[in-house]
Amino acid sequence: MISFDHVTKRYGERLALDDVSWRMEEGDCVSVLGHSAAGKTTLLRLITHEVSPTSGTVTVGTFRGGKLSRGHRALLRRTLGIIYEDFRLLSDRTVFENVALAVRIAGHYSDGEIIPRVLHALTEVGLHEHQTAYPHELSFGEKQRCAIGRAIVNRPALILADEPTGALEPKSAGEILELLKRIHREGAALLVGTTRPEVAEAIGGHGFVLEEGRLTNAQHAGPSLYAPPASQTPPLPGGR
Amino acid sequence: MHLFYFREAWRSFTAHRGLASTAIFSLTAALALCGVFLLLSHNAEQALHIVGDRREMIIYLKDDVSEADVQTLQLKIRDLYGSPTYVSRAKAWEEFSTQVGDPELLQAVDTNPLPASLRVKLKPELLNFTAMETAAKQVVEFPEVEDVRYGAEWVRRLDEVSAALHRGTLFAGVLVAIAIIFVLYNTLRLTVLARRQQVEIMSRLGASDRFVAMPFLLEAVLETFVAALLALGMVFVLQQSLAPRVIGLTFLPLTWSAAFVGGAMLLAWLASGYALNRILRTVGA
Repeated sequence: MISFDHVTKRYGERLALDDVSWRMEEGDCVSVLGHSAAGKTTLLRLITHEVSPTSGTVTVGTFRGGKLSRGHRALLRRTLGIIYEDFRLLSDRTVFENVALAVRIAGHYSDGEIIPRVLHALTEVGLHEHQTAYPHELSFGEKQRCAIGRAIVNRPALILADEPTGALEPKSAGEILELLKRIHREGAALLVGTTRPEVAEAIGGHGFVLEEGRLTNAQHAGPSLYAPPASQTPPLPGGR
Repeated sequence: MHLFYFREAWRSFTAHRGLASTAIFSLTAALALCGVFLLLSHNAEQALHIVGDRREMIIYLKDDVSEADVQTLQLKIRDLYGSPTYVSRAKAWEEFSTQVGDPELLQAVDTNPLPASLRVKLKPELLNFTAMETAAKQVVEFPEVEDVRYGAEWVRRLDEVSAALHRGTLFAGVLVAIAIIFVLYNTLRLTVLARRQQVEIMSRLGASDRFVAMPFLLEAVLETFVAALLALGMVFVLQQSLAPRVIGLTFLPLTWSAAFVGGAMLLAWLASGYALNRILRTVGA
């Protein structure tokens, strides 16, 4: 489904990813743990083709390597469900409109089909009753639920989540992680980038650690990343 | 889906009223200038048409031409050049007498010196200097014909004025087209930048360029439509205020007005498409 083949990414002099090679298959659940600026977001942006690798090849489904045309890039992104740390919701649209936007962009459905589809997604993320609310009227947890609703509404085969619990207090974070795990259990592949070991642990699946641009299997990573001091990170209700 | 694009365009239009008003104001100014030129061109063309309708060729006949020959010649002329009217020598004298008016002066002339003639109202395709000149050269070769007159210099000048007006209209049209492109390009750039977050989010969700651009395109066309109507209104007010002082000054016909609005909207569509193609490449990464 996703493969990185000796991928290096530089931003000028700064090395974001250093010769990264890994694969992710359909239905996999993967967490990438790393400090801030370790290269997690770059990894996700390479998958969505927001940036191109300096060297190496990124393959996502049938979209292989190089610089995709704008049309192909749009097509690729339509096959993904992306959850951003800062939610990326449109402030002048209601919860319903934000989620419906993803359905309209996918372009498969008529106006009549959009409403039940969006309502179903909102019910799944527990925002059915807030469908007419605007983002500024929502809590952080509700905004993240809205972003997740938008990511899953088209039933993508792969969901990318960049720090999905970053701005949330423990209770909301636990609920969001439970929601993501449920979506994964229903068949979607899940790739989560996080700075928080307990999130990576709660997500389960294959764990990777990204440190100074290099990706290693979590089992081979040093203890400093995967086991931070308990005082810094309170336990998550949804964690294992 | 199409309704969605219109809703989005309207949302953008109302959300950025300041930008929209500036664009409409600038477009109205450019289009009004074009409208004034069209009004001038239309009225001048009408005047030329009236004068042009009077453009005729006078074929003076030889004195010894028989009535049968005149009939035959008339048939040929009607077939090739236009509609002839026979003016006998007597009729020509009568017209001349009416024009001169002074009986004493007329008495000084012993005999009628005027030749019979054919006044030919030319076919529309011959109402230009080159065609008339060619026709005159052909007609003078007929054995029944003594001479041909068609006011060569007058016709040539008329054609020059007409051509200059067409060139002026074209020039004004090009200037206005450039102005429209300039105004729309900058307005769209500002509008897209004002909605940069929206464009980026849509792009990251996989929106095609068409999906992102369509509401902006519709908004630009809507603004141009409003501006074109306002410009037409201004031209109408100008025409109404000048009409009492300039005899025969008429407003643009409905087809011209519709073409003016339609042309402006088409131009807005093309200019916006070009502008958005460039802008979205930098904004929607």
